Amino acid sequence: MTTVSIARPLFGRRRTRNPMVLGLVRHVLLIAVLIVMLYPVVWMVAASFRPSAEVMNSLGLFSKNYTLDNYKQGWSAGQLNFSRYFLNSIVITTLSIAGNLFSCSLTAYAFARLEFPFKRVLFGLLLATMLLPYHVTLVPQYILFNELAWMNTYLPLVVPKWLGVEAFFIFLMVQFIRTLPRELDDAARIDGCGHWRTFIRIIMPLALPALGTTALFTFINSWNDFLGPLLYLNRPELWTVSLGLNSFLDVTGESAFGSLFAMSTLALAPIVGFFLVSQKLLIEGVATTGLK
Amino acid sequence: MKRLGTAALALLMVAGCSGTSVGDPGGDSAAGGQDGKGEVKGGLQLTFWGGANRAAKTNAVADLFVKAHPGVTVDRQNADFGNYFNKLNIQASSKTLPCVMQLQGRQLNDYTKRKVLLPLDPMIESGAIKVDDIPKEVVDTGRGPDGKLYFLPYGAAYDAVGVNATLAEQAGVGLPPEGYDWKQYTDWMTRAQAKLPAGTFAAGARGSTPNYFIAYNLANGKQLFTDDGKLGFTKETLIEYWEMWEKLRKAGVTMSADSQADEPQSAEQGFIAQGRILTDSIPGNALTPASATLATKPGGQKLTTLPMPSGPEGSGNAMFTSGFAIPTNCDNVPTAAAFIDFFTNDLEAGKVFKSDNGAATNTKVLDAQLKDPALAPLKKHELELYAQIVAKKPPTILYPPGYQATFESAYSRAYEEVAFGKKTVQQAADAFFAEADAGLGG
Repeated sequence: MTTVSIARPLFGRRRTRNPMVLGLVRHVLLIAVLIVMLYPVVWMVAASFRPSAEVMNSLGLFSKNYTLDNYKQGWSAGQLNFSRYFLNSIVITTLSIAGNLFSCSLTAYAFARLEFPFKRVLFGLLLATMLLPYHVTLVPQYILFNELAWMNTYLPLVVPKWLGVEAFFIFLMVQFIRTLPRELDDAARIDGCGHWRTFIRIIMPLALPALGTTALFTFINSWNDFLGPLLYLNRPELWTVSLGLNSFLDVTGESAFGSLFAMSTLALAPIVGFFLVSQKLLIEGVATTGLK
Repeated sequence: MKRLGTAALALLMVAGCSGTSVGDPGGDSAAGGQDGKGEVKGGLQLTFWGGANRAAKTNAVADLFVKAHPGVTVDRQNADFGNYFNKLNIQASSKTLPCVMQLQGRQLNDYTKRKVLLPLDPMIESGAIKVDDIPKEVVDTGRGPDGKLYFLPYGAAYDAVGVNATLAEQAGVGLPPEGYDWKQYTDWMTRAQAKLPAGTFAAGARGSTPNYFIAYNLANGKQLFTDDGKLGFTKETLIEYWEMWEKLRKAGVTMSADSQADEPQSAEQGFIAQGRILTDSIPGNALTPASATLATKPGGQKLTTLPMPSGPEGSGNAMFTSGFAIPTNCDNVPTAAAFIDFFTNDLEAGKVFKSDNGAATNTKVLDAQLKDPALAPLKKHELELYAQIVAKKPPTILYPPGYQATFESAYSRAYEEVAFGKKTVQQAADAFFAEADAGLGG
């Protein structure tokens, strides 16, 4: 009795074990962190509804003069309007996603299931390309595409995606396919499937989470890509959303921050939407491919 | 085929011929000699920095040019200042620079050092490009270390001292007197500080602004850079200058270093535009956008610009000009030369561009704008201040290669280390000199 009553003050107050209280505390903490992390985005959305002159005035969210002008002006700003930029971005992004899904899954199947000479060396080389910073290949790539007369076309942004250059996605799918039981392939073979059929009928349906992850990341990457379009797309009718947004800014003259925030808000919408739709696949993909 | 054409052109140049036209069966562009004489036709690529507003004005000028020269097409590209140079560097390293490219004196010698620009002097001699109506001091800002002209300045920006006139009036100090020097300027700040509202400062921690230091040196008759691109001022000058700012900072006249670090970069958002400081060095053309933000402050504050402080050697103002250059890889020099001449000298073009990137350097173009009754009062003030500065024949600064990459960043960083209390002024000056000596010139 005495030992217990002495020991307790040593460790401070007894901790509560009530799951309700614990859950509440945990949630309050998480929500507090969430608010801190989301605040810049919320601020941007709020700023996009304030008149241009008030955009930069405060860190707060509220204004007496909410307006939709930024959206109206932003949408039709510049040399063309944002419907064109959105359309261009959607075209590039769709083609890039299709390209990556096609080429990375085929390559991954080969590395995971086929036997061929120098397989390990080639796989090592493939992974080594991930270590190469983008900027190292930038100038040679630019010269190459220029010599091919691919300037002012979407080819430099899209064609590489169809050639399986994104080692990260290939690696992700290889890891995923390796976890699928080989017995399924054997059963398919006995039923008369060749490699192509095994790939299409057995592996691909099972690898859906990995495909979803690849699609989502490709979507985010090409939607947000700025340097690629900046280098290869000169004409405003070819511009993507990111280039359109950049044209609101000018440190040597006048910037249009109201329109910038309005259009940034719209530019975020597809990414958030895509994420919400494919969230389940994505989490499954991350959880099952060992990329934690 | 295009390559063959370029090779043939290069050969012609080596042979010293200024052939007026070289057949280029591969493309629709016309080739010409280094003197810019030749047929104005074919395609032309134009690249410049700026946002949508400036792009609209530049495009309007390009459209006028196309109208005046049937058969010419102008392919345009633009990006904001930082990204513009990222792209330009990639184009330079792959020898695909657009025929008409925009530059400032600050970066010029990064390009002349690598010999990617054509000298414009032969084109001036041949009459393809005219400089008759541009003040000589202004033209000279486009020259490289070898004395040749590499870009033709079309717009001259200058740094001015911006003063929040409303705050100055409320503090009862008025504006600094005409022809004020650095001593008067800092005394004025100190007097104002005592009466400024809480949370407002007389100035930012501005020992880190290269352009203020340039002004200080010019006013005191000190050279910034030697002819071989090294530092032209002494360590003592720098120490004396930084001590002056440190005294102000320690007395609470300027903002603390950590508040200063939060300042957003752009004319509309800077602390002076937000009404948080009384005075700052701002680009002359920032007057209009910064005033627009200030006007939304309670009571509607007003901003004005003054020349930089003077000194024993006169005015401290330097000009920062922007203009167009022609790269050596250009295969349509006559058209490029014609475009540059048109953009800089044509009255109609000037009317359309409205001195968007610094005051028009061509005096006739500038006069026409000043006489235009539709000119906004703030823009008029900006252009008149330019006219006042250029009338005093400001000295030309030859910026060495690596100026932007080495000098500007090392300079700001060195002072910030002082302001944050990491180094003494002496230590920071030593570190800055070591870094600048290693990275500049050559």
